[in-house]
Amino acid sequence: MTAVIAAEQLTKWYGPRLAVDDVSLTVGPGEIVGLLGPNGSGKTTILRILTGYLQPSAGTARIAGLDVVDDSLAARRHVGYVPEDAPLYAGMGVREFLVFMGRLKGLTATGVTAAVDAAMERLGLGPMRSVLIGRLSRGYRQRVAIAQALLGNPELLILDEPTNGLDPRQIIEMRELIRSLGGERTILVTSHILGEIERVADRVAILLGGRLLAVHALRASGQGQRLRVCVRGDEEGVRACLSRVPGVTTVGAQPVAGMSPPTYVVEAEGPSVAEAVAGAVVAAGFGLLTMEPMPVDLEALFLRLTGDRPGASA
Amino acid sequence: MRNFLTLLSKEEKAVFSSPIAYAIIAVYLLLMGFTFTLMLFLNRTAELVRVFFQAAILFLLIVPVVTMRLLAEERRSGTLELLLTSPVREIEIVLAKFVASLTLVALMLLLTASDAVVLGIYAEPDWGPIYSGFLGLVLLGATLAALGLVISGLTSNQIVAAVVAMGVGILLWMIDSIGHLLPDPFDTIVTSLSLVAHFTPFATGALFLSDLGFFLTVILACLFLSVRTLARR
Repeated sequence: MTAVIAAEQLTKWYGPRLAVDDVSLTVGPGEIVGLLGPNGSGKTTILRILTGYLQPSAGTARIAGLDVVDDSLAARRHVGYVPEDAPLYAGMGVREFLVFMGRLKGLTATGVTAAVDAAMERLGLGPMRSVLIGRLSRGYRQRVAIAQALLGNPELLILDEPTNGLDPRQIIEMRELIRSLGGERTILVTSHILGEIERVADRVAILLGGRLLAVHALRASGQGQRLRVCVRGDEEGVRACLSRVPGVTTVGAQPVAGMSPPTYVVEAEGPSVAEAVAGAVVAAGFGLLTMEPMPVDLEALFLRLTGDRPGASA
Repeated sequence: MRNFLTLLSKEEKAVFSSPIAYAIIAVYLLLMGFTFTLMLFLNRTAELVRVFFQAAILFLLIVPVVTMRLLAEERRSGTLELLLTSPVREIEIVLAKFVASLTLVALMLLLTASDAVVLGIYAEPDWGPIYSGFLGLVLLGATLAALGLVISGLTSNQIVAAVVAMGVGILLWMIDSIGHLLPDPFDTIVTSLSLVAHFTPFATGALFLSDLGFFLTVILACLFLSVRTLARR
């Protein structure tokens, strides 16, 4: 299967300043990948190269197998792009703007009506159809920008800081929207906020000073997971019991002190460890109260990767 | 082609939904009407040479105001990113903007044609210079529009675009004056860059292919440069 995004050794110089330094990234079909990094770490530059707005100084990038420089026009047809701060034509009506963008994306006069109606429905823009974009709130403008990106049904959506400037309720709606869109297509989303990426992405790519520091899976996919297990029983015995389960590598205590009954953090390798852990605890006669998978501690990872580098706090 | 028509209709709407267009047309017509009436009663001759020169001078000041927002505004508001990441060619974007601004110029000239109609009703003017004068104004207007478009592509500030385009236009208009001070062959080179030197024959009813070629060359060069300003960096 062709990777939807295949970037190899992308490098971008702005005059003497190195904005993106030798970044390689592959994103498969249907994946939601988050680009995480502080402001000025090169996220937007990478997106602009992938969407054909900028040319890389070195390296190559392919969208659905099409080179973004040599086959720019064809590659752009596969991408729906929402630039940072959702730039839109303030003097156009919502529907008028969407029809305009749909036509530019190659939809026919009849096809564009259906596509625009579907996109407006999907994003709840129906009541705003004839309102001037300049009169819309930040949240609605963001929705219009996403509706525009969905026209023509591209297989790749690129969203630059989609939750920036939204209020908490809108942020939650935006996250849900991104997740719901992810089922059908590949999404590359950026943020400088850990929690945002953590909640929507399958994988996270961490950028700092233009360099890709790490690509990390956020959704456990069989290999490696962490469980938070709350067990009633004497602590020594429970620990011994847990560490005997095949696949379990470490048994730690929940950092929250003084919790009763105590909670353990079990790190394990291999699939269906949860079942084995539950079985072992029950078989040993302890009371299994709760058990839940723990997300990767992205914050700790991020701090570890960026902590001792200059520019980390920028 | 279809992209061009989509972009053109958006640009036309942008031009004609802005109050700038109507302010420009109103001021232009007022000044032109004033001059036409004055010339008619002072000279009592059925010709439009003075009117054509005044229109040319007004174009130097007005066309940059029409073209100032074309690319500068898209760059400032970030919508240029939206356009350039859509599957459209730069040349389509540039041509749509050029043609849209030319529409406004054409409309102004069409309204000025009422002067010729008045002459036709009350006198028997020599039509040759009138036709060539309007052709000259179309070419001059298109040249200034193309020039304004390039300059608008170089900045994200509309006022800067307008002021610089006015400056370049006015300088090109009168540059032949300094040509006479320069030694051979610079005198010819500088003089032949002058807008007024190429416009005067049109306004007075003398058509030369070289003048036509000059305007078309400048227009094409400016459109090419406008595409270059949009090139991916």
